[in-house]
Amino acid sequence: MAEATAHLEHEDHRSFFTRWLCSTNHKDIGILYLITAGLAGLISVLFTGYMRLELMEPGVQYMLTPDGAPDGHLWNVMITGHGVLMMFFVVIPALFGGFGNYFMPLQLGAPDMAFPRLNNLSYWLYVVGTIFALMSVFVGEGVGVGWVMYAPLSTEGSPDISMDFLIFAIHVSGASSILGAINIIATFLNMRAPGMTMYKVPLFAWSIYITAWLIVLSLPVLAGAITMLLTDRHFGTDFFNAAQGGDPVLYQHIFWFFGHPEVYLLILPSFGIISQVVSTFSRKPIFGYLGMVWAMASIGILGFVVWAHHMYTSGLTLNAQMYFMLATMTIAVPTGIKVFSWIATMWGGSISFRTPMLWAIGYIFLFTFGGVTGIMLSQAGADRVYHDTYFVVAHFHYIMSLGAVYGIFCGIYFWFPKMTGREIPELAGKVHFWTMFIGSNLTFFPQHFVGLAGMPRRYMDYSVEFAYWNYWSSIGAFIAIASFLFFIGLVIYALVAGKRAEANPWNEHADTLEWTLPSPPPEHTFETLPDFRGQPAAH
Amino acid sequence: MARDRQDSDAGAGARDAGGAMGETAPPLHLTLWPHRSMRRHNLRWVMMGAGGGMMIPVVPLIGSKAIYVIGPFVLAYLGLLYGMMALTYRSGRVRETVSLWADRLRVERVDPDGTVKIWEANPCWVRLELLQTRRVEDYLVLSSAGRSIELGAFLTPQERRDLAERLQLGLADAKSGRLGQNA
Repeated sequence: MAEATAHLEHEDHRSFFTRWLCSTNHKDIGILYLITAGLAGLISVLFTGYMRLELMEPGVQYMLTPDGAPDGHLWNVMITGHGVLMMFFVVIPALFGGFGNYFMPLQLGAPDMAFPRLNNLSYWLYVVGTIFALMSVFVGEGVGVGWVMYAPLSTEGSPDISMDFLIFAIHVSGASSILGAINIIATFLNMRAPGMTMYKVPLFAWSIYITAWLIVLSLPVLAGAITMLLTDRHFGTDFFNAAQGGDPVLYQHIFWFFGHPEVYLLILPSFGIISQVVSTFSRKPIFGYLGMVWAMASIGILGFVVWAHHMYTSGLTLNAQMYFMLATMTIAVPTGIKVFSWIATMWGGSISFRTPMLWAIGYIFLFTFGGVTGIMLSQAGADRVYHDTYFVVAHFHYIMSLGAVYGIFCGIYFWFPKMTGREIPELAGKVHFWTMFIGSNLTFFPQHFVGLAGMPRRYMDYSVEFAYWNYWSSIGAFIAIASFLFFIGLVIYALVAGKRAEANPWNEHADTLEWTLPSPPPEHTFETLPDFRGQPAAH
Repeated sequence: MARDRQDSDAGAGARDAGGAMGETAPPLHLTLWPHRSMRRHNLRWVMMGAGGGMMIPVVPLIGSKAIYVIGPFVLAYLGLLYGMMALTYRSGRVRETVSLWADRLRVERVDPDGTVKIWEANPCWVRLELLQTRRVEDYLVLSSAGRSIELGAFLTPQERRDLAERLQLGLADAKSGRLGQNA
């Protein structure tokens, strides 16, 4: 037992340093993740601005060496920096580390994560990883092997120290992710409030839990792959050196065994966010809660058995291609269940087109569009034509840039009042949405055309035939970047002068536990456990 | 869930209620423990699922050199998962035991590391309060001889209210000499 007075007299007297640099509070750590991911995202977006500026017209205008020659390596560095930051240091940290940390324990009725100090360690490892990743861009010649780090380009082909920084960055961020994921799993399994059975858990918490499993199951493989890269580079091993009996294609298999689940890592948490936003602003419970849960789980499981659809042109046997083709198409089934369930939730609902709902509808439309081009790319025969063209670039940006990133914005607009106690002005939020919607579609939709016409990806120059749509693609990118900068200004304005938010600024269908707390929630939430016994299942 | 967290065997020692202290079974005996949403024995299914999933990339690598690098990572992550899950159960081993005799109230707390703290008081002088604090709803406090302790801080408010009611009745019975007779 504890002395009662000790419990009663405890107040929050933390200094700025203690609160933000030594925090073990899941809400503070979630905010830290969001801010850090936002900064990394800004840097990554500036890289793309530079790239789209270069691609605006045929020929090389900006990426030049001091003597005026085209600097192809700089282009490769920009591509790699953008890919690495977005895949490892922006989207997952924002969705999983940020929203997952902040809202999953709240939705479960847990007072904090199962291991608060470990949570703090995860965050700081992520920060160190981000710094290493940025150093890989700016130190030495800069790493230009692409985010997939294919051997032998990343072994014999990149002797520069920047490649080692990239390997260490991913190792450190992997350690951060694995600790965070196990923490999430332990919290989800063991810290749900009494009566909060598995099928009463809100869909966002489910999405974070399933994402955590994907991390736990896929990261050992990535850790092994990049360790082998490191030993091939520095310790005389020949895992991927064909001249010494190694197999470069083995790296591709190992990498994509991690890499494809990685794609689902990026998108799964946004499924949870969209489900809750659609339900709230349609003023209806989510359609097919159980189907939604199992569709997410199925997508996660299937994500582990389709990796070689990234490698159709690497010399797979015909049987292997047929298997991976069919397995890949199977993913359309659970994905379809999700999309149709969202539409069915809206059907007959009293839809309110508030800013989070606009992002959710935009997400559903664009994610579905990217999914359809994914079905096209899953065909091994057709992929011979599409492979390494801008059609692939358009496809995965529709899933990840327009999908996952829209999910992040949707989550920010939905939960910003809860996290900060301030509201983002509605009209300004809508301006942000529409400029981003127009800008990002103008960027990526024309890339389908140039891709089908044969424009290869990963080049800083192109034939004059592709000039028209590349020009408009760049205009779209500038609109989208301007929209993002406007959003940053909007967030700062809302923090300083935004209208004070109520505990639940939306409606009664925002019915998960976080909306029962004040905005922002106090330092300690659920000091005593809420009790769900006797309440109906499913949201 | 929390349905068994107040495990009472009240009445088991009723006939000894007024007898010698310490050795006799208490007429009211309650054991409290924190909630864990997954029972410990289900951890085996979690570990089997994790192990099975992690074998997918490992099995094709059997016979290749790569397994010597990926294998240790798989085992380390699996071990980490098991260790951290086991730790959550370890922290759930805290127990608070309330034993009430006609002339003695004893609260014993066993921490996860085995540390035992004991608080004893005469039931006639024990004050039981459910406080409404800013952070904790229905915070159950027992006071006597200038010292106050919290009880069942890890329970839900409803469980603490039920516990308070039960204890209040027990204390009243102890004061009136009827303890154990109503069981």
